[in-house]
Parts: sequence; structure tokens; C-alpha cells
Amino acid sequence: MTHESIILLVEDNPKDEALTLRALKKSNIANRVVVAHDGVEAIDYLFTPGADGVRNALPELILLDLKLPKIDGHEVLKRIRGNERTRLLPIVILTTSVEDRDRLEGYRLGANSYVRKPVDFAEFAQAVIQLGLYWLVLNEQPPPVRA
Amino acid sequence: MSGRILVVDDSLTVRMNLMDLLSAADLPALACATLAEARCALAEERFSLVILDVLLPDGDGLQLLEEIRSTPAAAGTAVMLLSTESEIRDRIRGLTTGADEYVGKPYDPGYVVARARELARRGDSVCAPGEETVLLIDDSVTFREALKAALENASYRVLVAGTGEDGLRLAADLRPGAVIVDGVLPGIDGATVIRRIRLDAALRGLPCLLLTGSEERGEEVRALDAGADAFVRKDESIMLILARLSAMLRSAGAQLSKHATASLLGPKKILAVDDSETYLQGLADALRADGYEMVLARSGEEALQLLAVQPVDCILLDVIMPGIGGQETCRRIKSVPVTREIPIVMLTAVDDRDAMIQGLGAGADDYIAKSSDFEVLRARVLAQIRRKQFEDENRLIREHLLRAELQAVEARAAREIAESRASLVEQLESKNEELESFSYSVAHDLRAPLRSIDGFGLILLEDYADKLDDDGKHYLSYVRESAQQMSRLIDDLLALSRVARGEFRRAPIDLGVIVRSVAARLAKATPGRDVELVVADGLLAEGDDGLLTIAFENLLGNAWKFTSGCDQARIEVGVCDDERRTYFVRDNGAGFDMAYASKLFGMFQRLHSAAEFEGTGIGLATVQRIVRRHGGRIWAEGAVGRGATFFFTLDSGAGSDFPVALLGLEPPRFRSNLEASR
Repeated sequence: MTHESIILLVEDNPKDEALTLRALKKSNIANRVVVAHDGVEAIDYLFTPGADGVRNALPELILLDLKLPKIDGHEVLKRIRGNERTRLLPIVILTTSVEDRDRLEGYRLGANSYVRKPVDFAEFAQAVIQLGLYWLVLNEQPPPVRA
Repeated sequence: MSGRILVVDDSLTVRMNLMDLLSAADLPALACATLAEARCALAEERFSLVILDVLLPDGDGLQLLEEIRSTPAAAGTAVMLLSTESEIRDRIRGLTTGADEYVGKPYDPGYVVARARELARRGDSVCAPGEETVLLIDDSVTFREALKAALENASYRVLVAGTGEDGLRLAADLRPGAVIVDGVLPGIDGATVIRRIRLDAALRGLPCLLLTGSEERGEEVRALDAGADAFVRKDESIMLILARLSAMLRSAGAQLSKHATASLLGPKKILAVDDSETYLQGLADALRADGYEMVLARSGEEALQLLAVQPVDCILLDVIMPGIGGQETCRRIKSVPVTREIPIVMLTAVDDRDAMIQGLGAGADDYIAKSSDFEVLRARVLAQIRRKQFEDENRLIREHLLRAELQAVEARAAREIAESRASLVEQLESKNEELESFSYSVAHDLRAPLRSIDGFGLILLEDYADKLDDDGKHYLSYVRESAQQMSRLIDDLLALSRVARGEFRRAPIDLGVIVRSVAARLAKATPGRDVELVVADGLLAEGDDGLLTIAFENLLGNAWKFTSGCDQARIEVGVCDDERRTYFVRDNGAGFDMAYASKLFGMFQRLHSAAEFEGTGIGLATVQRIVRRHGGRIWAEGAVGRGATFFFTLDSGAGSDFPVALLGLEPPRFRSNLEASR
């Protein structure tokens, strides 16, 4: 089975979504980007089989905002880490908050990385490019888990 | 009892008499004849009481009294002076030197023993005999011993007396739990004993059992009349007496504390004031026979002097005396709060109605004609003392109630304060939480739109550059700059609020270490700069590590920024050689105009345009807040083009400056404040 490389972007703000997608495009990262607009959509994408009973392919990288409608980022993180099939997925928290408690909770729940979204778009674009390069090119993924 | 009693008297008669009396009262004692002997004894042993003669062959008893009072180890030792009293001023001298009691010779043995017991047990917790102590008053030794043995068998403690008078004295002194008294006694009879007990506020609750002769029905009636709780015929079996006693004790149940009120029958002191020596001596003898301790004064002035140092239980006052006279003396005694309560009986000539009326007008409690026999006088005196005792008791009860009420009010107030404090703390916590979540929202939600403004601005510039002219591109760059400036403002505001609400822990720290690490970060962030940093040795301080790091980030950051135009930038950090330990950060940069110094530490205050130096106007406000949290203050000196120096302290210095620092008032004008953000 050919492995389509997917990035799951969990982001409720359409403008941030547009900025992130543009930054990824500009950096020539060709992966398909699936966008979940709140925590529930993210969970659904990962765990709920479609009408045909087939589950969605797992992403190679999840970019996760913390402040989300319905189910927040920490809770999404907890559920992903709590499931055998998804617990090794690389997850990068990409958020505006640099509060100690958010960082602490993110790492405690098993985030692989914690990146602050800079206000300066040039810096933001640079951060997204570096993330893509590191996690999708340089980093070796864990072997796929048989569910 | 904590120690023996030391008797110091050169008269063998007095020594033997006192030793006998004390030994009979079960008070262990030691006798000395001279000061030298007494000093040896005092050096070896701690006595609870010293009974001290004033005139001794080898010196003055008062000298020894002074020595005792100046010896810390003898602090708990009471002293009773015992002396042939010729002048009232001797008595005053003794009492002001520190004697607890002054008894004149000839002394009443009962008074001396009772006072000795009181003084000797003072300081100890009063070891009163238990409820099971029974006082047995009977003149028949045979019957007394038989009943005593039976009582002791039934595990009562037993006190015995042979006469009614002795019995009453023991009752007042030792406060037994019950009294068994024979109806027929040599002096006052059993019914009288009981009647007197009933008249004494301190003893009247005492259960009394009267033993009556076999066939005397009338005596039983008299016994009940006198207030006996029970009576038993003497020819009944001793078992019946025990049964009645135990029933009586059971029903006596809860009575008021036996020691709350001074007993009417306890030792009493009477001050007699008369200029006629003959009358005074006669009066004294008569009353001494009743067991009163007599203090004699020859004038009103003497009486007042004595009352200033020693309270008495009753005063007998002659109306006509040289000097200030009886009425004036009476008026003065009644006008002083501590002596107002002492009963005064005026002594008047039999037919001097005017003097009587004037005496009563001056506040006397009673009057008596001098010509009356002493029997009447004694009865009047006793009546006055009894009245005083009831008043004392009432006052005690009132005070007790008042105190209880006061305590209840205090407790309620304390509870209310605690409650309102708890609710304030709760409010504060909830306010803090609100602030916390507000700051969090600011941090997260205000930044997102800024990122959009900046991001889409840049996208327009990149993707649609061909559709914009130069002005349009310029305006777009303004939009982006504004967004980034606002982002910095948000960051600084958050830092400021963290400084104000975060934890504060004071510990010894080396400011030099902080300064060097902050400077290293600044150097790394601005690679092109060459700044000479001079840090003094020994920059030790007490403060919060995290907060002071933020303070130096701002102070050094400012210095770094404002020296950017210098050829040879130099930043110096040190401490002034003064008591307050005033730290400073000095640079040779752009400086500032002292005219604007008052604006330095205000929020959003800037003394430089954004074109010259960028900044948010929050940095120095943050530093000031940090310094104030340490209880210190901050000020600055500078001149345009000649650099700036920021001074600060980290504690109140416990001096007069503290309120200034606390209120955040401006420091003295000559070291006027510098700008907030420069």
C-alpha cells in the first residue's frame, strides 16, 4: 500500500490556517494537509471510520493549536497518546501561548515539540518551514503500528 | 507547701511561742535569734515565709528585708514584719521596703498563724483540702477521738477544734468540706457557731451537722433555727453520724468556689485613729481579744499615710483630732477609689449630735459614742465588716458576669474578624484568578489578529506587489510595523502583570551573576555591538532571583539600547558605599533631560521618539514595581548626551524612608526620577 504523507493541521482560526498553508506551500512541502477546525473534528478524523467503514490514513505530523472550540488541544493530545494506534504520532504544539502552565501541560501529555507562533509573519513562515523540514524530511518516523 | 517558715526574733519567749503555734498548725519552721544566723539560713534554704523582728541585737531587720528583696532567688519568699510598734511611720517604712505584712506586738496568735499560712502558700497553687475534709468541733476529747477515728476509717480528712472560736477560725482558714459541731461547748455554743458560719459569705454554703444532747428537744429547734443542715443525737451510733454526713455532702453538691470570697472569720486588720493614747490602747486591747490585728494611728495624717501602703478591713475614726480632723480624714479616704470601700465607724462624744451628722455627711458608714462599752463597738465593727464582705461578694459576682460577657463579645468579634478575613482572602483569590484568566486571554487572543494583520500585509506585498505603487507599499509596511509594535506592547504588559502578581521569595543572591548573564544574552542578540561592561565585586543582596533578573534585563537593556550611538559604550554596575546599600546601573549613552525626570517610571511614558530609540514605555514601570515589591525605591540622574544612572535599594532600610517607598512617592527632588522607557 502506497503511503500518502499527510499533515493534520488542527487550527480553528481561518486566517492562521491560511497563513500556515501559505507558508507550507512556499516552503515546497508537497504533503497533503488535512485541516481540522476544532478538537472534535481532529478526533473524528483520527478515530472514526468513514461511511465505507475505512478509517482515514494516519498523518505523519500533527500541528496542534491549544485553544480550540469544543475539545481543546490538551484534551486532543491526551486522547491521541491514550490510543495504541496513534500514541507514537509526532505532534507539534503550534500556539500563541507561551504561558508556563501551557508548555508544562503540553510536554507532560507527550507533545514532541512546542512552538510559539510569532506575530511577525516572516518569522512565522520561517518557523513553519523549519518544522516541515525537520519532521517530514530529517526526522525518521516510528514504524507503523498494526491496529 | 514550697518551703519552711523562718522565724527571726531575739526574744526567746516570742520564738518559742511562734514555733509552738506554727508546729501546732502543721507549718514547719526554723528559728533564729540574730541577723547573722538568719543570713546563713537564707543562704542554704529557700523559705516560703520569713517572720522578721525589726529590732535585732546585730542590726535592723529592715536591712535583711532589703537583702531578701534584692535576691532574685528569694523572689517567692514572703516577709512578715513583727515588731513593737511605737510609730506609724515604722510600719509605713516596713511596708514600703517590701514587707508583705506588718504585725504589731502584742500580736494575736490566731492572726499570726492564719496570715502565716496565707503568705506561705501564696504563689503555690492553693492546695485546699478536698471536699472530704471534715471539721469536728467538740470539747470532749474521748468522743472527739472516737468520732475522728471513725471518720478517718471512712477516709475523710479530719480537723479538730475544742472550742467554737477555734473551730470558726479553722473553718475560715482551711475551708473544710463540712462541719460537725457539738451543741454544747465551753464558749460560744454549737448553734452560735453555725449561725456565724451562715453569716459569712465565704462559708455560708458549708454543710453543718449539729450534735445534740440526748433529751434536749429544744436544742434541736435552736439548731435548725441557726441554720444547721442536719442534727444527730450524740447517743445515736457513730454509723448514723457518718450516714448523715455523707448524705449532707451529697446534697451540698455544686457550690461556689470556696476560695472566691475572703472569709469573714479570717484574719482582719482594723485601723484605729485617735489622738488619745489611753482610749486607743483600751480599744486595741478589746478588739485584739476578738482576734483582730490592730493598727494604731494618732492623727488623720498618719492614717492616710498608712492607707497609702496597706489596706485594712475597717477604720475607727475619732471625729475631734488635731490636724485635719476626723471629718476631713473620712472625706479623703472616701474620695480615693482603692480605699473608698473600707467601712468607717466614726467615734463621737455621746451628746455631739452635730459631729455625728457631719461625720455621716462626710461619708462615714456608722458612728458610735465613745462612752459606749466595747461590746457594742465590737458588734458594730463586725456588722460593718460583714456588710463590706457582702458588697465585695456582689462586686465579685458582677465582675465575673461582666468578664464573661466581655469574653463572649471578644470571642464574637474575633470570629467575625476571622470570617471577614476569610471572605476577603476568598475575594482576593477569585480576583487573582480573574486577572490570571484575563492575562491569559490577552496573551492568546490579542496576538492572533495581529498575526493576521502582519501576515496578510506581507502576503499583499509579496503576491500583489505589481498592483501597488510605492506609497501603497509604504503604507502596508506601516500596517505591519504597527502590528509588531502592538505585539511587543502585549508581551511587556504581560511581563509587568506577572511581576506584580507572581510569587515573591527573598533569598541571598549575587547581583553580579545576574548582571553578567543578562549582559551575555544582550551581547548575543546584538552581535555587532562592542560594549565595555564593568561589574563591581561583592554585589550581594537579598531579593527575588527571578524578579531581579527581569529588572536587570530592563535596566541593562535600556543602557545597551541608549549607548548604541556611542563610540565607546560603557556600562557600569555597582553599589554606593552607604548604609542603605544603594545599587546603580550607569551608562554613557544618550541620557535624558532632568526636566522630564518625573515621567520616567510612568506607564507608557517615553522620552525618546520611536525613530531615535524604539520601546514600549513599560520597562521602567516594571523595574519600579519590582523594586517596590522588595520594599526599596528607585530614582535616576542624567543629562542629555552625557549618560544616565539608575539608583535603587532593595529594602526599606527600616528608616524614615520606608513610608515613602511604600507609598511610591517620588524621591527627593535633587535626585529626580528618570523616564520610564527612554
